Amino acid sequence: MRKTGTRIGLVCGLMVTVFTFFAWRLIDLQVAQHDFFSRKAAEKHCIRIVIPARRGRILDRNGEELAVNIPVRTVTADGTHIRNPAVLAALAAPFLDMSPKDLGEKLSTQRQYVVIRREVSEEKAQAMIAAMDKAGLHGLYLEEGSVRSYPNAEMLCHVIGFVDHTGHGIDGIEKTFDRELSGQDGFRMIEHDRKGREIVIYRGQEQLPQEGSDIRLTIDMGLQAIVEREVDTTYKQLHPKAVTAVVSDPNTGEILAMACRPNFNPNRFNDAKPDEMRNRAISDMYEPGSTFKIVVTSAAYNEGIVDDKTRIYCENGHFSYGGKIIRDHHGYGDLSIPEILMKSSNVGAAKISLRMGDQCYYDYVRRFGFGEKTGIPLQGEISGLVNPPHRWDMLTKTRMAFGQSVAVTPIQMVMAMSTIANGGKLMKPRLVLSMGEGTSVEKALPVREVVTRKTAGYIATALQRVVSPQGTAPLAKIEGYPVAGKTGTAQKIGTHGGYLDGRYIVSFAGFMPADAPKLTGLVIVDDAPIGSEANYGGLVAAPVFSRIGSRAARYFDMVPESSGMMAQSGTNSLTAR
Amino acid sequence: MNGNRRRPTNSIEVNVLARWVVAVFFFGLAGLFFVYLKNQQHAVGDEARSVEYALREVEAKNEALKARITGLTSRGALQRRVDEGYIHLEPILDSAIARITPPQPAEPDGVLRTASRDPDSRFGGSPQRIISR
Repeated sequence: MRKTGTRIGLVCGLMVTVFTFFAWRLIDLQVAQHDFFSRKAAEKHCIRIVIPARRGRILDRNGEELAVNIPVRTVTADGTHIRNPAVLAALAAPFLDMSPKDLGEKLSTQRQYVVIRREVSEEKAQAMIAAMDKAGLHGLYLEEGSVRSYPNAEMLCHVIGFVDHTGHGIDGIEKTFDRELSGQDGFRMIEHDRKGREIVIYRGQEQLPQEGSDIRLTIDMGLQAIVEREVDTTYKQLHPKAVTAVVSDPNTGEILAMACRPNFNPNRFNDAKPDEMRNRAISDMYEPGSTFKIVVTSAAYNEGIVDDKTRIYCENGHFSYGGKIIRDHHGYGDLSIPEILMKSSNVGAAKISLRMGDQCYYDYVRRFGFGEKTGIPLQGEISGLVNPPHRWDMLTKTRMAFGQSVAVTPIQMVMAMSTIANGGKLMKPRLVLSMGEGTSVEKALPVREVVTRKTAGYIATALQRVVSPQGTAPLAKIEGYPVAGKTGTAQKIGTHGGYLDGRYIVSFAGFMPADAPKLTGLVIVDDAPIGSEANYGGLVAAPVFSRIGSRAARYFDMVPESSGMMAQSGTNSLTAR
Repeated sequence: MNGNRRRPTNSIEVNVLARWVVAVFFFGLAGLFFVYLKNQQHAVGDEARSVEYALREVEAKNEALKARITGLTSRGALQRRVDEGYIHLEPILDSAIARITPPQPAEPDGVLRTASRDPDSRFGGSPQRIISR
């Protein structure tokens, strides 16, 4: 009887020990090491999937799409789900534009995540999955993504820019506003089963993506198309090194069109050469030549150094100063200020500059915005080159008066000409009209008042005479609309200094209608191989300006001064057949 | 002598048994119902996932088509069509254009004008002029 009791005691003790051990182990697993095992389980089954944010579109001022997204898929493989790589490869290879052999090698892996192919079109990816489902095969999966597409290809390429393979901006607006365009990716914590399918009821934390903002530019694609066509024609006909054209609204500083040649296709930016990718309107500086005469004349008139009655003796085209001779194209005697602009007299401009103090003249050059970045929201803008008076030699001031010894960017010149057009205010160039839900980025605010309205009006009136038959740019005339502007013809500078014979940068900067300016434009033709006799701003760039202005006037439906003049010209409407 | 001639037996307490049977039945039923609901949850989850997938697919197809439309109607594409002669541009003579007064928005003072007399409307000079043939 006693022996039986001992046995029962032993069994009970054993049972207690065993169950105590189990209980301890249970507590250890469930409580003490809860976090560790939860993490291990999560690693096995829980994944954080990224919900990509849609990149914002880029639109022109009228809502025309300039940069859009095309949905594509990234095909990935989970080697642990693939039973027969060869069969799967044979089925999927045609959809992925790969050989079955190459695909088979990639699929013969035990890795859980292998990227097989990126940027597979939506149609092909879906067709592949459908074929796999039909054949009962597993192991290939699709990830969402998109590629950027520029429907207008080369048009406006330097302004829009492009994105790299990760979808981030590399140049242009795409780069400047990359953060706003990109938005913020979202995420979702999910658990998946053995086959990799999401178990929806165990869906965890979720954060929706913040979609990228659409950006509306100030560019008007109707006008841009006009400018592109004229720039393209000039580039093909004259074979210059480069052609640049910019059109802006002088009253607001809005850039309405901007085109450069050579250019590139942002859809295939890998094929582009660095020279083609440069936005010359902001990143090239050049000696402006006579277009710069608006600065010295405005400054002198604004300071009261010259007035309506002032006449400058132009030395019959040969003015010896500082041991050098300043020449005019033709010899002139006494010229008024408007006549100096009309005839583009270098001697006259130089003599006006000599009447001004160095610092005063320099201040006006800077006040017109030269020597500093305009602040246009594009990458790669340079500030040009304006030396301060203490670095001038004896000739610098007289040279600057007719656009030598100074280097400017095309956008600076457009803004300076706009200053004359709008009554004396230097405007900051605007390229973005709104971002997101109609939010205006910045208002059109003048940077500063450079000259008085009276001075601007006086110079504007003088610039109208440049386009007259007696001026240097009668070819800039636009039938029915008064035009004001200034030609520029500057010799190119060699890489080792000094001017290059027979090689010129010619330009025309102007605005229209001259009495109530709506558009300011600049056309620059760089180094056209057409001979020195024909290579003048008035002969090469002015006609391009005229054609752009003429077509722009019809596009904007500006009412001509005399409607009868316009009876023969026509605007275009689309008629499908 | 014992007068009770019935053989001694262990009686079954039907009431208690029935209570237990019913309890176990309901417990089992609840368990089965739980499993059924869980299965339903999974089924609905799968359905939701399929719908989400289909929706994403449709959205992606829509985006792809929109991008294609944008490409086909872009200025470059239209210009190509013009060059190929598929689209013809017909000049409109100025004499065939009728210009009417554009609608005048409220002035900064907030007062809406019933008629516009401002000739300096956007890009327009003389708004009352109508030229037509």
